[in-house]
Amino acid sequence: MAFFAVFQKTLLLAFLSWRTFQSEVLAEYVSLTPESLKVSTNSTCQCLQLQWSIHELPHHQELKMLFQMEISRVKPSNVIWVGNYSTTVKRDQVLHWSWESELPLECATHFVRIQSRADDAKFPELSIWSNWSSWEEVHVQHSLGPNTLLVFPKNKLVEEGSSITICYISGINHNNITCYLHDKLIYGVQLDSKASAFKLNNVPFIRKSGTNFFCEVNQTDIKSGATFFVSKVLEEPKNFSCETQDFKTLKCTWYPGVDTGLDWNIQPSQSYTLFESFSGKKQNCKHKNSCNWKITQDVQETYNFTLTAANYFRKRSANIIFNLTHRVHPMAPHSVRFQRLGATPVLMSWKVHALGNYLTLQCQVELQGDGEVIQQHSVDMKVNGKLLFGELVPDTEYMARVRCANAKHFWKWSEWTVENFTTPEAAPSEAPDVWRTVKSENRSHIVTLFWKPLSKLHANGKILFYNVVVENLDKPSTSELHAIPAPARGMKLTLDQCSYRIHITANNSVGTSPASVIIVPEDSGNRTEEVEEERIIGKEDGFFISWKPQSGDVISYVVDWCEPHQDLFCNLQWKKLGPNTTFSLISSDTFRPGVRYNFRIYGISTKKTAYLLEYKTGYSQELAPLDSPQVAIANLTSRSFAMTWKDYSTESQPGFIQGYRVYLKARARQCHPGFEKVVLSDDSVYCKYTIDDPRKKTFVVENLQPESSYEFFVTSYTGAGEGPNGTFTEVTTPDEHSHMMILIILPMILGVLLTMLSCYWKSDWVKEKCYPDIPDPYKSSILSLIKSKENPHLTIMSVKDCIPDAIEVINKPEGTKTQLLETRKPVTENEVTKPVYLYLLPEGKDSSDPGPCICFENFTYNQSATDSGSCGHVSVPLEEPPCQLGLLPSPNNLLKTLEKNYMNSLGEMPAEETSLSYVSQLASPIPGDKDSLPTNPPVPAHCSEYKMQMAVPPCLASLPLNENSSHSSMTL
Amino acid sequence: MDLRAGDSWGMLACLCTVLWHLPAVPALNRTGDPGPGPSIQKTYDLTRYLEHQLRSLAGTYLNYLGPPFNEPDFNPPRLGAETLPRATVNLEVWRSLNDKLRLTQNYEAYSHLLCYLRGLNRQAATAELRRSLAHFCTSLQGLLGSIAGVMAALGYPLPQPLPGTEPTWAPGPAHSDFLQKMDDFWLLKELQTWLWRSAKDFNRLKKKMQPPAAAVTLHLEAHGF
Repeated sequence: MAFFAVFQKTLLLAFLSWRTFQSEVLAEYVSLTPESLKVSTNSTCQCLQLQWSIHELPHHQELKMLFQMEISRVKPSNVIWVGNYSTTVKRDQVLHWSWESELPLECATHFVRIQSRADDAKFPELSIWSNWSSWEEVHVQHSLGPNTLLVFPKNKLVEEGSSITICYISGINHNNITCYLHDKLIYGVQLDSKASAFKLNNVPFIRKSGTNFFCEVNQTDIKSGATFFVSKVLEEPKNFSCETQDFKTLKCTWYPGVDTGLDWNIQPSQSYTLFESFSGKKQNCKHKNSCNWKITQDVQETYNFTLTAANYFRKRSANIIFNLTHRVHPMAPHSVRFQRLGATPVLMSWKVHALGNYLTLQCQVELQGDGEVIQQHSVDMKVNGKLLFGELVPDTEYMARVRCANAKHFWKWSEWTVENFTTPEAAPSEAPDVWRTVKSENRSHIVTLFWKPLSKLHANGKILFYNVVVENLDKPSTSELHAIPAPARGMKLTLDQCSYRIHITANNSVGTSPASVIIVPEDSGNRTEEVEEERIIGKEDGFFISWKPQSGDVISYVVDWCEPHQDLFCNLQWKKLGPNTTFSLISSDTFRPGVRYNFRIYGISTKKTAYLLEYKTGYSQELAPLDSPQVAIANLTSRSFAMTWKDYSTESQPGFIQGYRVYLKARARQCHPGFEKVVLSDDSVYCKYTIDDPRKKTFVVENLQPESSYEFFVTSYTGAGEGPNGTFTEVTTPDEHSHMMILIILPMILGVLLTMLSCYWKSDWVKEKCYPDIPDPYKSSILSLIKSKENPHLTIMSVKDCIPDAIEVINKPEGTKTQLLETRKPVTENEVTKPVYLYLLPEGKDSSDPGPCICFENFTYNQSATDSGSCGHVSVPLEEPPCQLGLLPSPNNLLKTLEKNYMNSLGEMPAEETSLSYVSQLASPIPGDKDSLPTNPPVPAHCSEYKMQMAVPPCLASLPLNENSSHSSMTL
Repeated sequence: MDLRAGDSWGMLACLCTVLWHLPAVPALNRTGDPGPGPSIQKTYDLTRYLEHQLRSLAGTYLNYLGPPFNEPDFNPPRLGAETLPRATVNLEVWRSLNDKLRLTQNYEAYSHLLCYLRGLNRQAATAELRRSLAHFCTSLQGLLGSIAGVMAALGYPLPQPLPGTEPTWAPGPAHSDFLQKMDDFWLLKELQTWLWRSAKDFNRLKKKMQPPAAAVTLHLEAHGF
C-alpha cells in the first residue's frame, strides 16, 4: 500500500510539473492578456465603460475569445461582480464593454480587472485563461468639502415595481444625517466613512413630477436631495380594430391604457406606431388612441396590422389581420324622403354613400308612432333604398329611422338617420256617439243632444264641425240643418210634439262621418211616472247595474247618468250596450263619495226610439249625514211632549237616510221603556230610541214627571253612520195644577190692578173727602156745639192772622206735596238728614238784643258738624250701648257726653229710625239758666231765644218726662 | 398803515410769483395731469392683488413639487437661486432709499422674476398649472408696466438691462431636478417677499405724494409770506 501511495504522489507531481511547463511555454508564446484597459463612467446610466485590446493574436486574423471581468467596490478585495463576455476579436481591435452599477458611481470607488482566453474549438490549446490585468480604479467624485452633502443619482428614471439604490456622500458624521423618502424617514446602509446607500425595492409611482429623496444634517442648514422618476409600466393596447367607411381610409382605434409620460421632460407619453406587414408600410400615430391609414388605389384586400406602443423601457404590441370588406362600417344614410301615395300608404326612400358596386348593404327601417315601434323592415340595397309603409293612420305623425350594414359580412351598423312625417287626413270613419235628454214643456219637447268627440283613430283629422239634421217624420218634407262648430259637444233643440229623426255627423277637412240617428217620438219615451226608483249600492270600482232583459225589438241598451259639476250642471254620461246585455259595471274616475248618482236604463228599439226601462239611484260610497234635524217641540204637557222635524230634507244628504235616533239624557241612569241605555266613555248615560222609518219625522216622549226638565237630541243616520253630534235641547214639563192656578189668580190680579188704578185716579177726591190736610173748622161739629152753648161770638182764628213764634221742623222721609222746606234726599243707612236752619228774622243781630226777634241756634248741629266734618257720617263701635248715661263731672262734660252719645247713637240708627222727634226747648227768661232742664210747658215770650235742640234717641224719647227730669236733676 | 411805493412793487412781485406757480399746485390744476398719485395707488393695489394670487398659485405649485417642498417649515439652502434678486434688505438701508432707487430696484427685480417665472411655466406639465402660471405672468407683466408708468410720471428713466446680464432659464443636463425644484421654491418665495416689500414701498410713496394742500402753503412760505 505504501508503495502504491508513493507512486501516486510521484505521478501527480510529475503531471503538475508538466502543466506548469506547458503554460509557461504557451504564455510566452501567445500573449492573450487584455491590454490598454481603460475605464470611463457615464453618470446618466451609472455605467462603467471598459475599453481594451488584444495586441497580438497568434497566427490568426480573428479569434473567438472569452473575457472575464471582476469588479470590486471600495477596495479591490471587495469583489461585487464577476462576469464573462464572449466575442470574436480581430487583431489590434479595441474592445468595449459596459457594466451598469446599481449603486451610483459617485458614492464609491470601483476597481475593475479583466482576463481572457480563447473560446475557439479549433484552437483548444489556447483555451487557457490569461493573466489578470492590473486593477483599474474608478473615481467619479474627486473632491468633497468638509460640509458637503451630496445625494445621488440625479434624475434617475425607473419603472414602477423595479429597484433603485440611492446614496449620499458627506464628510459629516453620518449619525447626524437624516434622510426622507417622499415624506417618510428612512435608514440606509453605510458603505464607508463617507457614503451611505438606500436600496428601494418595488418602487411605486407617486406623481409625474417625481419622487423626492431628501437628506439634511441635523441642527444645520445643510440639506440636499435627489428626485427620481418612476414610470408606470407600459400596457398592451387593447381592443385594437380597424374599419373603413368609404374604402379610402382605414380608421384604427384602440384603448391605450395608462399614460407612462412623466413631467420635466423625463419621459414623454408612450408613442404608437402602426405597421402593415403586407405592404411593409409603417406610420407613426398622432393620437394615442386612433390612427388613420390611407388605402392605396391598388386594392389590397387583406391587411395585417401591428400596433406597437413604446416608451423608454419597453414596447408592447397588438396585431390584427382582416379582409377589408369585412370591416365596413357604413356612414349614416342620407336624403331620406317620404312620398304620400294616398291617405295611408307612404313610400320612404333614402340613399347611402357609395361603397363600390360590389357591396350590398342591408338596411334596417323602423317606424315609430307615439314612441313605440310599429313596424320594422329589412331592405337590401346598393345605393338607393325604398320602402312602402302601409296600414298607417291618417293625420298621424310618425318617426321613421334607417341604418345600414354590410349585408354579406356584417361588421357594424351605421348610425341611425331619423326623419318624421305626417299622414294626410281622411274622412272620419265612425259616427259620433250621440245621446240625448228629452224634457216635455208646454206641449213641446226640449231635446238636448250630447255627443262624444271622436277618438283620434276614428276622427282621421281635425273635426271642424258637426252637422245636425232634424227631420220631422210627420211632415217628411221639412227638415232643418244645424252646423255646430267643434269643439262643441252638444246642442239644445225645441221640438213640437211630432216625431223627429235626428242625424248627427262629424266633419273634417276631407269628409263626413257616418251619421248617428236618434228618434224622438211624440211621447218623448221617458215614462218616468211608470218606472220606480230602485236603490243600488256602489262599490269602489263603480256601480254594478243590471236590468230585466227586454223581449222583442230592443237592438241596444243605453245607461245614462249625470256627473254633477261644481256648478251643479249635469254633465251627461252614457254607455251603450249590446242587445244581449243585461248588466254592466259603470265605472268612472269622477265618481265621488257622498254624491248621489241617478242611472236611467233605456232600451233602443229597432225604430231607433229610446224607452226608459229602469231607474236606479245610489252612492258610490255613502257618508254620514251632514246635519241633524232641527227639532221643534209640540204638545208639551206635564207628562209628555212631542218632537217634530218636518223640514228635515233626506234627499240632500250624502247617503240614504235610514232613520233617526232620539237621545234623551238619562235621569238616575234609568231609561223609559222602549229606550235603549247607552253608556259613553265618559260614563255619561243616554237613552236612545231608534226610528227606522226615514219618513217618520215625529216622536212623542211620554211618561214624564211634571215640573221636570229633560234634555234630548235627534240625529239621522245612513249606512255610513249617524249625523254630527249636536247640542241637547232642554224641555221642562209644567206643573200638573198650574192651569187651575192660572184660572183663579189671573182674574184676581186684574181686579186688584183695576182697583188700584181707580184709587189713584180719585185719590185727591177721596183725600179731600175723608182726611183733608187742614180740617175745616167750620165744618167741625165741635164748633157748632160751642157756638150754641157757650159763646155765640166766638170766631175762628184765621191762620193768616197768626204770627208764628216757633216752627217745628219734622224730618219725614215720605214727603208730601205740601212739604216745602224739607230736603228730599233719600236716607241711607249711614246718612242723616241734613238739618235745616230757618231764619225768620234777619241775621247779624245779637241774641242779647232786646228787639223783637226770634233767633234759632242749634248747637247740636253746629258743633257736631264741625267736629265730625260731615253730616252724621260717624262710625260708632257696636259694643258701645247707645243709651248709656253716666255721671258727668261738669256741664261742659255733660254736653260733650251728650253730643258724643248723640253722635254715637246716630251712627247706629237705622234709616227708618232717623225720623227724629225734635223737642223744642224754650229758652228761659234768665240768660244764665240755660243749662237747667225745663219742666214747664213752653211759654211764649216777647224776645225769646232758642238754645240747643237735642236730638233724643227713641229710647230716651220714650221715657216718661218725669223720670227724665228727675234723673237730670240728680245728675246736676 | 400807509403804503409806500416800494411796498406796492414788492406785493405785485409776490402776486406775480404766486400766479406763476399756481399751475403747479395739484389742487388747482384741474385740466392737466393728475400726477403720479393715482398710478401709485393702482400699483399698490396691484401688488396686494398679486400677493393674494401668488398665495394660491404657490400652494398649488409646491404641492405639485411634492414633499418636502410643500411642508410649511421647509427652508432649503439657496443654492441655485443666488441669481434671484433678493427682496430682504436692512431696514435702515430701505428707509434711506430715495424714490428713484426704490422704484428702480422694484422694476429690476420684477423684470428678472418675470423671466424666471416664464421658465417655470415652460416646464410645468399640468395644463391647469400652466394656465395659472400664465395668468400670474400676465398680472406680473401688468405690475411691471405700472411701475414703469409711475417712474415715467415722476420723471425717472427706466433702467436699461446690461448686455449679457439677461437672466436665462436653461437647466443643463447635469442639473439636478431636485435642485431645480429648490430653485422654483426660492423663486416663489422671493416673489412673495418682493410683493410684500413693494406694498410697503408704494404705500410709502403714496403717503409722500398725498398732501396737495400743503404745497400752496409751502410755496407761499418760501416766498416770505
